[in-house]
Amino acid sequence: MSTLTKFSATPYTGPAPTNREPYVPADVGKMDARGAEIAGRLKIEQERGQDLPTFVVGKERIIETLRAFKNDLKFTLPLDLWAVDYPEREKRFDVMYQLYSLSSNERMRLKVRVGEDEPVPSSLSVFKGFDWFEREAWDMYGVRFDGHPNLRRILTHEAFQGHAMRKDYDPAQRWLCTEKDVARIIPTIDARFENVDTDFERVTLNLGPSHPATHGTLRIVVTLDGETIIGAEQEIGYLHRCFEKSCETHTYQQAIPFTDRLNYMSAIINNVGYCMAVEKLLGLDVPARAQYVRLVLSEFMRIADHLVCIGTNLVDMGALTNFWYLFQPREEIYGLIESCCGARLLPSYTRIGGLAVDVPPDFLQNAQRLVNMIPKYIDDVENLVDRNKIFLDRVIGVAPISPEDALDFGFTGPCLRACGIPFDVRKTNPYLGYETYDWDVPIAEGGDTYARYLVRMEEMRQSLRILQQAIDRGLPPGPVIVDNPYVALPPKEKVYNEMESLIYHFKLIMHGIQPPVGETYFQVEGGNGELGFYIVSDGSKNPYRVRCRPPCFAIYQAYGRMITGQAIPDAIAALGSLNIIAGELDR
Amino acid sequence: MPIERVQPGVVKVVPRKLSFAERIYLPKVIAGMFITLRHLLHNLLHYKNLPIISYPEVKRVYSERFRGRHILTTREDGTTRCVACYMCSTACPAECITIEAGEDERTREKFPVRYDIDLLRCVFCGYCVDACPEDAIYMTRDYEMAIDTRARAVVGLRDLVVPPNFPVEPMGWRPYYGTLDKKGTAGGTGLGQPKREAPYPDDAPLNPDLYRGA
Repeated sequence: MSTLTKFSATPYTGPAPTNREPYVPADVGKMDARGAEIAGRLKIEQERGQDLPTFVVGKERIIETLRAFKNDLKFTLPLDLWAVDYPEREKRFDVMYQLYSLSSNERMRLKVRVGEDEPVPSSLSVFKGFDWFEREAWDMYGVRFDGHPNLRRILTHEAFQGHAMRKDYDPAQRWLCTEKDVARIIPTIDARFENVDTDFERVTLNLGPSHPATHGTLRIVVTLDGETIIGAEQEIGYLHRCFEKSCETHTYQQAIPFTDRLNYMSAIINNVGYCMAVEKLLGLDVPARAQYVRLVLSEFMRIADHLVCIGTNLVDMGALTNFWYLFQPREEIYGLIESCCGARLLPSYTRIGGLAVDVPPDFLQNAQRLVNMIPKYIDDVENLVDRNKIFLDRVIGVAPISPEDALDFGFTGPCLRACGIPFDVRKTNPYLGYETYDWDVPIAEGGDTYARYLVRMEEMRQSLRILQQAIDRGLPPGPVIVDNPYVALPPKEKVYNEMESLIYHFKLIMHGIQPPVGETYFQVEGGNGELGFYIVSDGSKNPYRVRCRPPCFAIYQAYGRMITGQAIPDAIAALGSLNIIAGELDR
Repeated sequence: MPIERVQPGVVKVVPRKLSFAERIYLPKVIAGMFITLRHLLHNLLHYKNLPIISYPEVKRVYSERFRGRHILTTREDGTTRCVACYMCSTACPAECITIEAGEDERTREKFPVRYDIDLLRCVFCGYCVDACPEDAIYMTRDYEMAIDTRARAVVGLRDLVVPPNFPVEPMGWRPYYGTLDKKGTAGGTGLGQPKREAPYPDDAPLNPDLYRGA
């Protein structure tokens, strides 16, 4: 094309990729020292050289170790449980537990190595929050958990044969699920209602999976006594698309469009979380301009996420007007995203090492226009519903959860903050420079639907505060992606005009990014809570294992318990306030 | 809602106690009616600026980065720029591009004899455009791709290749952002932007199979 400028041939002189060398985390010394301290105290084996204090425990000692971590060391928040398959090993599965301590702001990882038919004791007696995570590990890997009361398949259907995430599973197989295969779910009746004698016949009712009030393919089976729910069980997996398996068969760069589809209400946050996890593995420093744009768009996405959550929640309660008022700013936010990357809902805007393209020249003016207009709409909704007794009667005291239960179930994000626990990844483990902004973590008391509404409303205002400060600082100059041809595609002008860059271009697309061998975990604050990505690299172009820590998954497993004792309309109001996104829940 | 600071960096949202007037429903409900009434009056007075697009008479203004349907560009002599290097199909995360390469007897240059994109598989991520070393594949601002059979979703060379000197400047996602100063448009519902009546002069060429039916 005639518009191209000629670039001088300046070959890349930086370091070559280190893909066959082990990954060395940045703060490995500190983590090893802390790990050794804990290992000495609990008398367990430590694994050195990891990005978190990591321990290897035999399966017979896992329960007492978890209990010691919970009670003695105050690791009270069960973040995640997952498995990794190494088929060439004798004990092929690594079952991983990740815990977080609110008091000392620490994370730790526990590994249990088991063979193919070795059961692991279920950790439900220590952390209730591992319930669905254990079911997922069983479903995907076939790791049996002894003592789990309900070890059924969770993401795949009942007619599914084999375990999909095993390395030796042939993904080309198809399993047909017919009506007779579907399990009959009969919810267990809550103990409080078991022996209550009422005049009503008990009725079992299916809500969903395609019900207008469930916002996604969620199925809830409830047993009713009159109008009261006396037992409920949730069934998920209707939107399962095996995100984690797909990542294993694609390159690191190709997984970015898949992450869009996790929490599609705030897709940029997923992009950022995944890219930062890979960047951590690569040891990359992302340019300041890219970090700035990531932060601004993440906050806009968080606002959009909360707008949808509150808007649809209010629609479920019959307040349609608010939905229109809240969708207008969301529409404009998507317009801003579209002007940056050309797509509204599924942006795929970030790349490993930075951004796909620079922002348009009028980016800051548009952002400022949005920051000016959003408060007006939030205020309108607040004036409409906040002092409205019809609304308050529908939400106050509905589906409450105590702070202890919320922690035990692994709640994060607005749902945990509504219980009065100020845990926000942006404060505890700041990334993208969140620590340089003046903002507050909103909390509320009660843990009910009203508290969740209050926290989300205030969080949008705090996000607007961050955005206003960011806009006042202005866009940092410089490139939007690292200048490293082993990670980022060279500029097009160079590709058209230089042999060197053309070779790098071909190399990168054919052979992909090849990070050093190792494993890492990185977490960001998503719209619903801690969104984490755990990545194992074997040095090849495809990730060996990608694990997404979905915040919805942990929250939704407590839902049945939260709505027991309430009425159906309350269950609908509570479901909306939890902001369950099926794309992230089922992955 | 009033907020109070509990510790540095943490604020607590404290709901106010309801006053008597608020507890008897009606005053607050009427106050809410006034808010909706204000919106109604505002919308009536600013009818021109309503955030509504009467599609398909009026179309949305998308930015010049929009990732819509693909086109294959052509050199001035009428041959396709594509040299069948398989970069786009390798980079495609959805595996929706199928290419078969042929060789020009005279110039010894490779060219595609078959280039199919399955639009139902395509996720419109733009990776093919980023991967192309020959400036051959662009994405347009065309987002109207309704079809009635799955077979029609597979578009081939006949649908993708545009004539020589086709005006690519007003198209969508293409490889020049970042270094060349390209004007970006605001997008959104087009508030504060001139509305454009369909069809745009810069619309992508209509695909006879896709749009008019076989």
